[in-house]
Amino acid sequence: MKQTPVLEGAFVSDPEPALVGSCCRSCDTVAFPASFTCPNPRCSRKDVVAAPISRTGRLASWTTVHFPPPPPFVAPDPFVPITVVEVEFTSEGIQVVGPLTGASPDRLRTGMAMETVVEPYYTDDSGEVIGWKFRPAEGGGDE
Amino acid sequence: MSDVIVAGVGLHPWGKFPEKSWVEMGAEVAMGAVADAGMEWTDVEAMVSGAMQWGGSTGMRSGNTIAAALGETGVPIANINNACASGGSLMRAAYAMITSGMHDSVLVIGTDKSPKGYFPSVPVLADEPRPPVDMVRWQVGVPNPAYWALEMRKRMEAYGSTEEHLAQVKVKNSRHGSLNPYARYRKAFTLEQVLASPMVCDPLRLLEICATSDGAAAVMLVSDKKARRLGVRPLVKVAACSLASGEFGDPTIRIPLLAAASDGAATAPLLSESRLAAQMAYEQAGLGPEDMDFVELPDNSSWHELQYLETMGFCGEGESEKLLDAGETALGGRLPVCPSGGFSSFGEATMAQGILQIVEVTWQLRGTAGARQVEGARKAITEVYGAQANNSACILTT
Repeated sequence: MKQTPVLEGAFVSDPEPALVGSCCRSCDTVAFPASFTCPNPRCSRKDVVAAPISRTGRLASWTTVHFPPPPPFVAPDPFVPITVVEVEFTSEGIQVVGPLTGASPDRLRTGMAMETVVEPYYTDDSGEVIGWKFRPAEGGGDE
Repeated sequence: MSDVIVAGVGLHPWGKFPEKSWVEMGAEVAMGAVADAGMEWTDVEAMVSGAMQWGGSTGMRSGNTIAAALGETGVPIANINNACASGGSLMRAAYAMITSGMHDSVLVIGTDKSPKGYFPSVPVLADEPRPPVDMVRWQVGVPNPAYWALEMRKRMEAYGSTEEHLAQVKVKNSRHGSLNPYARYRKAFTLEQVLASPMVCDPLRLLEICATSDGAAAVMLVSDKKARRLGVRPLVKVAACSLASGEFGDPTIRIPLLAAASDGAATAPLLSESRLAAQMAYEQAGLGPEDMDFVELPDNSSWHELQYLETMGFCGEGESEKLLDAGETALGGRLPVCPSGGFSSFGEATMAQGILQIVEVTWQLRGTAGARQVEGARKAITEVYGAQANNSACILTT
């Protein structure tokens, strides 16, 4: 089946799944999704390159969404609640939201290690739309 | 520099009005504000109106549409959209026109009819190379209340706030709203009823998140010279009108974004735009939080009320729950919060909600707020909360 990324260039699967942002070579500011420029107002050189973000971060917060979001979200029928997690990547100094996978929200604890994976979001007429998700790092999930 | 006086206000009841156009609602409050000021439609020197995205192209030019309905007079009309902070942004635009001496009277109009449920994103029709992040966040599945829930869970971890605190905010605001004939929801809820309402984005329940409503509000702002000529009594003065945007390094993940500076790396405070807007307003008015008799803040959710009391300088971090527990934020308490019933009782009508707050404060300062009157109210601050770091605060005094 044809696979389309939910946002071109926002993640890679090889050599391991990871988010890709932009990093300013002048001031080290990391942005996600990648920006064409550096968002630091005090940076005058604004010399950005695409940069993978650490695969593993720590869980900062989460919430389970109990009512289906509107399109372009593609909700299964009947709707299954989705859990959105916020993961902090210390080395990059950013926190990113994404869907939880591979664990029940009951198992989540603030500060636990989470890792980035690339999985299907949904399937439509054009094929499979894939994107980033987060799961408890090795040994922390339900699997 | 001229003082800016609220000479007249107009408010439409809030709810769902499928049989009535937003143009009719806007025209009604516009004429209400003009009449309340003792003026004629043809005396209005300029207009600012909320550019209503849910109304399509015509909605984006709401001011011209309303003027055409009521009779075009050739005055300057600006249509402004700053998301849920539009009302405050409209107030500031009108304020600047009067303080600069450009005009002696400016009519501020906000009218809106909202789609049901979660606010969706407005489709992009431009030929763009990639989808906007607002589309991607929906594919990920992050509705607006999820952003608030993520912050609330952190608050619970940091300060031990509980689900009961969230529910108590609704209990209080619903009691206030039950006293307001213009509110959409006039039922006073009990703690048990709020806690029994369905979970939407945990820990936020349905009754702890404001609904999306139809509503309209208008304010007639005039110079002090014009106010004297009109014989306005009492003189409700706009002592400050600020507008702020976000700061780099703010850890708030803003609607509709997907990332922010991490809490550990943050170089600006949570809701930096809201903190700035409040600070700017206090400085402009030469007043502080301790001078305020009450506050109308953006209770888009119960989390907002707890957070904004701190962001607006009324207490230290993690202390809002104590004010709530002690009853200080209820009518009759030391600092009534949202005596109108707040967005919790009205629901969001994004173009109008900031102006709704000005109408309520004006009635309170005139002493005509009826059963929900804050005794001896002389000074109050309003603040809105807009998507993507838009914020505005106004201070009114008498």
